[in-house]
Amino acid sequence: MLSTKTMARYAGHSLAAFVLLTMAPYLSYGAAQEVAPDKGAAPHMDQTRAASKKRIEGSAPKQFGEDYAGSQACQTCHEDIYNNYRKSAHTFVETDKRGGWSEHGCESCHGPGAAHAGSGDATAIRNPAKLQPAATDSVCLGCHRNTAKHSERIMSGHAKSAVACTTCHSMHARGPAGLVQRAPADVNALCSSCHLSAKAQFAKPSHHKVPENSMTCVDCHNPHGSVRPGMVQTFASNDAACIKCHGDKRGPFTYEHAPMRQEGCGACHESHGSTNPRLLTRQEVRLTCLECHSNIPGTANQKAGVVPPAFHDLRSPRYANCTVCHQKIHGSYTDRNLLR
Amino acid sequence: MKSLYAVFLLPLTFIPVLALAQDAPAPAAATAAAPAAEAPSPVPSSENWLTGYVELGYRTQTGIAGSEATYRSIVNLGEGLKLSGTDFTILDPKKRLFERLRIRAYDWGGDPWSSFHIFVEKRGIYKFLGDYRNLTYFNNLASYADPTLPRGVVLDQQSFDTKRRMGSWALELFNGRLLSPYVMYDRDSSSGRNVSVFRTDGNEFAIPELSRDATNLYRAGVHVTLRRFHVTVEQGASVFRSDQNSNVSAGSSTNPGNNLNPVLGQPIYLSSLLRATGVRGNGAFSRLTGTATLSSWLDVYGHYMYANPHNDVNFQQLATGSFVVLSQALFYSTGQSILTATANLPHKGGNFGWDLHPARRFRVTQAWTTDRLDSRATAVTLDRLALAASTPLGNSTLGYTTLGNSTLGNTNSLLNASDNRLETNAFVEGPRHVTFRGGYRYVWGDSQGAILPAAGLPGAQFATLRRQVGLGGITWRPGTRWSAAADAEVGRGSGAWFRTSLYDYRKVRATGSAKLTSTLRLSLDYRTLHNDNPYSGVSYRFDTHQEAASLNWAPKGERLDLQASYEHCGYNSSIAYLQPQILVSAVSNYREACHTMSGLVSASLKSPVKGMPIKLLAGGSAVLTAGSRPTTYYQPTARVNVPLTKKIGLFAEWRYYGLNETFYMYEAFRTHILTTGLRFTR
Repeated sequence: MLSTKTMARYAGHSLAAFVLLTMAPYLSYGAAQEVAPDKGAAPHMDQTRAASKKRIEGSAPKQFGEDYAGSQACQTCHEDIYNNYRKSAHTFVETDKRGGWSEHGCESCHGPGAAHAGSGDATAIRNPAKLQPAATDSVCLGCHRNTAKHSERIMSGHAKSAVACTTCHSMHARGPAGLVQRAPADVNALCSSCHLSAKAQFAKPSHHKVPENSMTCVDCHNPHGSVRPGMVQTFASNDAACIKCHGDKRGPFTYEHAPMRQEGCGACHESHGSTNPRLLTRQEVRLTCLECHSNIPGTANQKAGVVPPAFHDLRSPRYANCTVCHQKIHGSYTDRNLLR
Repeated sequence: MKSLYAVFLLPLTFIPVLALAQDAPAPAAATAAAPAAEAPSPVPSSENWLTGYVELGYRTQTGIAGSEATYRSIVNLGEGLKLSGTDFTILDPKKRLFERLRIRAYDWGGDPWSSFHIFVEKRGIYKFLGDYRNLTYFNNLASYADPTLPRGVVLDQQSFDTKRRMGSWALELFNGRLLSPYVMYDRDSSSGRNVSVFRTDGNEFAIPELSRDATNLYRAGVHVTLRRFHVTVEQGASVFRSDQNSNVSAGSSTNPGNNLNPVLGQPIYLSSLLRATGVRGNGAFSRLTGTATLSSWLDVYGHYMYANPHNDVNFQQLATGSFVVLSQALFYSTGQSILTATANLPHKGGNFGWDLHPARRFRVTQAWTTDRLDSRATAVTLDRLALAASTPLGNSTLGYTTLGNSTLGNTNSLLNASDNRLETNAFVEGPRHVTFRGGYRYVWGDSQGAILPAAGLPGAQFATLRRQVGLGGITWRPGTRWSAAADAEVGRGSGAWFRTSLYDYRKVRATGSAKLTSTLRLSLDYRTLHNDNPYSGVSYRFDTHQEAASLNWAPKGERLDLQASYEHCGYNSSIAYLQPQILVSAVSNYREACHTMSGLVSASLKSPVKGMPIKLLAGGSAVLTAGSRPTTYYQPTARVNVPLTKKIGLFAEWRYYGLNETFYMYEAFRTHILTTGLRFTR
């Protein structure tokens, strides 16, 4: 049964959602106004913005007007980029007639290019890499939003922190790497260029084999977003990616160790690297365990994880490493005290 | 020294043969290039149909000074001929069977982590991905497990010498089209030996164990992709098996335990043990994912996931020796246990959210996520204690006399938990490439756990999770030259799963990157977390902070490149606990600090081969930690690549590994590793 307080909370959230949805048409009117040409703005910029809007809606123009130059015109000056683009995965934009951008692939992202082709003025054309991150993303998401890969986007830390698609992807790239680095060393270098602390953790003696390039960051994390915190990949529908390699820890066990289910592996493990041989969050085993199993009774709202090591004399070396006896610490098939 | 000479001479002997092989034009290349000129293709005829490299080398070691077990637990690189790596791509201009095939393989030849990856694609028709890894998991660290080590008794519980193999294979058809079905198969298996523990009242014995497990995962689904919406439906099944067997033979020498002191004047020892655990499981899972663009200003996202793994357990154990039940002061010579159990874990999860972008510079996202699990298990156990009919103890296994200590038990365990979160974020783009973010997250849930009958432990545990979190952030990304971002979370709790869970907390992360000059880039990363559980008796306080800086200097001309980074971290934790022997409350304080430095210098020198410079690399990392396990760990490395021809190069690499632990000096080691070989590039 829901308490009155909880129901009130639900009601509050529902009200907020309702207000947002009812406000949407009015706000969209503002969006429509936004597309209208700004006074004093150069005409080609208006065209670019209007074209951008069309891309966000995901549709190509029915007929390319005079403001479009066609990809051949782009090739004249940007031959290297064009050649790379034609060898990349994006080349199908150029050739696929159903997509509507046939022979205008460059302008599908850069917007109408006639003004730029005529004047050579760099400001007369849109460069997605130099837009605001959200604007860059909307260019890419014009085609990629409704795909399985981006279905968890709104929970992505990258999206929240305005890390644009072009931070990791090179849209014109070609060769084995494609649009994004694939070789383990390159993937790890790309991620660690921003995640400096994670890179440092991997230098500790016990670590997952990322510096050795046996693993990559994307083996465990989904850079496009995940339903799990920390953008951790999911495995077998809804388990954490850890289970992909540590299948023996999946269970279900006859006797569960609750933190593993409720807080995940990160409750006890520092998965990047640790001075503890089992990648624990504390350097010694007992220090990890005893923070929860501290003999103190639980509070009104929190009574889990208080089972005491009642009779153990913690001064004895015999009890220094709890997992010597409680070896099935992830959950046991046969013993309620996780002893075998 | 002989082996060192061999290291350098061996690759040289291959050079003439391999050079001839390289110089001879591949017939396939000639035939592939000709038709490419006739038909328009993304791959020009001048382009190689095969590009990539193969790196073969021979590795030798100067010997391990210190603990070989620790070396094997942490590094474990061996000597011999190695395939360091290969990465090549084949392009078929005629797109017959495939357009592009890429194969990568690293660290084969007895290395502890070997991997193989294949990617084949014919755009719009199919895409095949395969990934295989073979890992050696060796872990034998006495400080981790062996409480008898100070007395000179080496037991090494929890040590492993196993192999883990993982394969993942996926085939997707008509990728990018309206309907795109796919099938996937994953297998994760492990087998090997380890040292486990047989525990009785008064003593624990290290016992050898053979273990193996395997998980097979089958998945199939279909993507339905249209311009304005997308749906993925996936159905899968998993099959799991796990076996663990121990056999300590009767008549073997007495197996020592942790406790060598007699209990009530009688020694406690193990003479023989037969133990077998078998687990067989399966489960089905489903996933439904959808996205839709409802209008130019509203996108919605949703997931539903369901899994129901199930395991059946059979366990048998027969032990002989001298044992005791302390609570009854009852000595016995044979103990037998049989258990049959079944466990189910229905696990549901889902989320729903929308992205509202009504104006060009304003966006609101809201996402509701839920995760609900309901683990239930039933076990039937039979435990019998007996005094052996014949003496000496341990000679007989089945001819025992029952002492009346036969227990038939039935236990039920459950663990329910629901974890929900609702998060709303608003984004406003300000001028000059600044984006502001503000939001609110509410996290709530309930949990219940119980094992019945209680048997002396708390029969049931309940917990509620209630947390309100304020979110804020600012990013400034004017381009590739500068960027800065800061995010903050402030949470207030009124319930948490565990006493160390997030409660009243503050979390801040700030990053920045600046191209100071045309050749110099500086990156900074700072993060801190403060968590406080103020409840009386808990008094938990946790602080951590990490500061990292990285410098990249690449002078013009690309002759020299320098990367250097430094990280400092600190962890402080304090929590109240009750000392078990005297029942007096005390505070446990934990402190840890670390310094991590890494760097790499690469330089290019002129070589006789035109356009192919000699490359020198030197660098490595050093970690220094302080706290309850002060550790220093050094990994310097140097490498030289010398081109012999345009397509063949000679490389030599030196690595040093050195570990030292102040409190566990017996686990220190240091070693030099030298590798030399040839790299063939096309």
